[in-house]
Amino acid sequence: MDKTRDTPVLPHFTGCRSREQETFRCWWSAGTFSNLSEPGALVVFFQMKNTPLSDWQECPEYTATVENECYFSKTFTHIWTSYCVQLRATAQNITYDEFCFTVENIVHPDPPVGLNWTLLNVSRSGLNFDILVRWAPPPSADVHTGWMSLKYEVQYRQRNASHWDKLDLESGTQQSIYGLQTDKEYEVRIHCKMSAFHNFGEFSDSIFVHVAPIPSKESVFPTMVLLVSGVVGLLILLMLVIFSQQQRLMVILLPPVPAPKIKGIDPELLKKGKMDQLNSLLSSQHMYNQDTYREDPWVEFIQLDLDDAGEKSGSSDTQRLLGFTRPGPKGDDDSGRASCYDPDLLPDAEGLLAAHCEMEEHHPLVSESGPSTPSPEATDAPFLPFRTQPVGQSWINMDFYAQVSDVTPAGGVVLSPGQQSETPGMNPDEKKKKGEDAGDEEVEKEKKLQLLVVGSDGGYSPEVVARQVESSAPYSPAPENAYHALPPEPGEEPQTWSVGYLVPDGEAQAPYFLPEAPPASVLPPVSDYTVVQEVDGQHSLLLNPSAPQSPACPPNPTKHLPSMPAVPMGYLTPELLENLSP
Amino acid sequence: MSRNQKQAVLFVALLCLDLRTHVGSAPICPHGHTGCHILSLADLFDRVIQHSARLHGLSSDLHSEFEHFFLPSKNHIGRVYRKCHTSSILTPNGKENAQKLAREELTEVILKLLTAWRDPLSQLHQSMAHQQDFNSFSSNKALELSDMVHELRKGVEKVTEKMQLLGMISNSVNGLSSSEALLPASESGEAMSDYELVYCFRRDSDKVQNYLKILKCRIVPEHGC
Repeated sequence: MDKTRDTPVLPHFTGCRSREQETFRCWWSAGTFSNLSEPGALVVFFQMKNTPLSDWQECPEYTATVENECYFSKTFTHIWTSYCVQLRATAQNITYDEFCFTVENIVHPDPPVGLNWTLLNVSRSGLNFDILVRWAPPPSADVHTGWMSLKYEVQYRQRNASHWDKLDLESGTQQSIYGLQTDKEYEVRIHCKMSAFHNFGEFSDSIFVHVAPIPSKESVFPTMVLLVSGVVGLLILLMLVIFSQQQRLMVILLPPVPAPKIKGIDPELLKKGKMDQLNSLLSSQHMYNQDTYREDPWVEFIQLDLDDAGEKSGSSDTQRLLGFTRPGPKGDDDSGRASCYDPDLLPDAEGLLAAHCEMEEHHPLVSESGPSTPSPEATDAPFLPFRTQPVGQSWINMDFYAQVSDVTPAGGVVLSPGQQSETPGMNPDEKKKKGEDAGDEEVEKEKKLQLLVVGSDGGYSPEVVARQVESSAPYSPAPENAYHALPPEPGEEPQTWSVGYLVPDGEAQAPYFLPEAPPASVLPPVSDYTVVQEVDGQHSLLLNPSAPQSPACPPNPTKHLPSMPAVPMGYLTPELLENLSP
Repeated sequence: MSRNQKQAVLFVALLCLDLRTHVGSAPICPHGHTGCHILSLADLFDRVIQHSARLHGLSSDLHSEFEHFFLPSKNHIGRVYRKCHTSSILTPNGKENAQKLAREELTEVILKLLTAWRDPLSQLHQSMAHQQDFNSFSSNKALELSDMVHELRKGVEKVTEKMQLLGMISNSVNGLSSSEALLPASESGEAMSDYELVYCFRRDSDKVQNYLKILKCRIVPEHGC
C-alpha cells in the first residue's frame, strides 16, 4: 500500500486501526493525484466476508474533522469477521486500492494513563536507586469485563541518550525499575498491546525520574578510619616482629648452607680452638698428638723434629709415614705421621685427618709436582711432597710431613723426620747434596725453613709463591732449589702442587722462603726430596719415576712413576727452569 | 481376573472416586456446608479463563510460525477469507452482542466451539508430524493444542455443571457430547489445509477466551462488569 516513488502515486489506503476492538477507522491518501484530493472525489467501500456474502457498502461515516478518514462504528464493526475496503474514484468507477483484514488484527490499544513512579530504595553507597512505576490501563480499553487483555511494556532511558531500555512485558499495572543511577535524569514511557497479538499502541507521555545523590553519612567515615588504623597497626606490629626476630627469620627464610661436614669432627670446634673433642677423637685413633696441635701447627711441626731428633725411637720413618704414629713428644711432629693417604688409617681417622688437613689453610699441602726435567735423577731421598687432593680427602696433617729419605728397591718409601738433609735423621745423601754449597747458616736456616708451597688447591698461586720465594730469598737465590718440584712442563696438569716449605716456627710472616737454595750447583733438587707426583685413589704415592726407586708406600704400589712429571706451570720461573735443568 | 487386572480396576476406581471428590459434587458437599472445601465458581472461572488464554496464545504462536514459513503475500486478500468449518456456528461477533446473549446460549456456544475442534486438531497434529516441513516443535504444539482443547472442554463442562447446580443457569444446556460432528471441510468439500486449520483455530480460540470472560463477568459480579 505504501508506494513511494517519484512516479505518480495512486490513491491508496494508509492504514486501518482499531483502538478498543469495538470500532475502527481507515485512512487513505490521494497520492499525486491532486485532482482527487478534493473531498468526495474518492470513496470507500467495504464488504464483510460472511457466509452470505454481503454487498459492497460505502463507508458508513466519513469523519468530518479529519481528512480522508472513514469511521466504522460499533454497529458496523464485527469482530472475527473479515473485511475488505476499497478506494474508488467517485466518477470513473475505478478502484485504486483494496485492503482486507480482520478487526482483531488491527487493534492498537491506546496508551496507558496515569504513569507515575515512587522511590523504592537507595543503595548503601548512594549511587543507585530503584523505583516502582505505576499506571492505569487506557480508559478506552474495556479490561474490566475482560473484553481486552492487555500487556504493557515500559521503556526508559537517560535524559539525552538515544537508546531506550525495554523491560519485560507486564500484565499488571505496575513494574519496578532497578539499578538507576542517582544524579542522573531518566525518561520513562509505556505502551501496550493485546495479549497474543503484535500491534503496540502509541506511547504514553514520558515522565522524568531524578533522585539527588544522598551524601553518605555517619558510618562511612568512621568505618574508613577504623579500617585504615587497623591496617596501620597490623603493619607496625609486623615490622616489630620482623625486626625483633630478624635473626631467627633469616635462619628460617634463608637457611644457611651447611658447611661440608666431616664425619666425627665439628669444624666449629676446630675454629674456636676447642681442642678437647678433637683431641679425644684423634687420640683415639692413635694418629694425633694433641700436644702438637696448636695455632700454628705447621710451624710446630717443623721445629720439633730438629730438637727431637735424638728422641727418635726405633720406629722407622717408613712406619711413621705409613701411619704407625704414636702419640709422642713434640718431636714427633714431623716424623712418622701418617700421611693422609695411608690406607692403614681407620676410616674414621681418615676423615679426621682429612678434616684436620683440610682446615689448615696454610697446611703444608704438598702438591705433587712433576720433578723437573733436570733433576729427575737428583732425588735420592726425595722429599716427598704429598699430593694434595682438591677435595681434601687425604690431607696430611702438618705433623705428617715426612721427608722421604730413601726409597727402597721394593718401592717402599723411607721417610726421614721430614727435615732437610741437615737434620740428623736425614739421609746422608741429602747431606751430601745439600751440604755442599749451602753455608752453615744457610743450612741452619734451611733447617728451620721449610717452605711449603701450597698447591694451587691450597689457594696459593704457584706463581706467587715462586716470586715470593725469589724475592724473599735471604739465602742464595737459587729459587730453583726451593722448587724441587721443578718447573712445570707445559702441559702438565698444574693441578697439584709441588714443593712444600716448612716454615720454621716464628717465622710465619714470610711463609715462603727459599729453602736451602744453594746456588745452582746444588742442582739436583735435594736428594732428600722426591717429588710426589700424585697420590692416586689407592692412596699410593706416585713419585717421580726417575727417582732412584719408585717411591711409594709399601702397601700401595705406585701406580705409575711417570718420568719426572713437570712441575705445574707457574711455579717456577723460566730462570728456575733453566737452572734446574741440568 | 488375574491379580494385575484386579489392581488395575482398583486403581481406576480410586481415580474415579478422587475425581468426584475434587469436583465437589453436590451430594457430598451441599452448598453452604462448613468444613467442606468447595471451589468457588469464581475460582473455577479463573482457571478456565487462564486455560483458554494459554490456548489462544499457543494457537497464535503456531499461526505466526505458519505465516513465517509460508511467506504470505503482503496483500491479505488471498488468505483473509477462510471458510472455517465452524462458520456455521452462530457466534456473537461483538462485545455487546455477547453481552446481550443469554448465559445458557453463551455457554452452549463455547462448548460447541470446543467440541468442534477436538478432531480437527488431532488431524492437524498427525498431518504436521508426517510432513517434514515443520520441525518437531511445531508439531508438538499442534499436539498440545489438541490436548488443551480437550481439557478446556472438560473444564467448561465442569463450570456449566456448577452453574447449573447453583441455579445460575437453567438446565437447558444439554450434553454436547452428542452434538453433531462437524467435519472440517471448506465449502468446496475439500479438506482444509493445515494453514487454514491453524488460522481458523486461532480465531476460534480468541472467541472462546472472550466469551468466557464475558460469561464470568455476568455470572460472578465484579466491579466494572
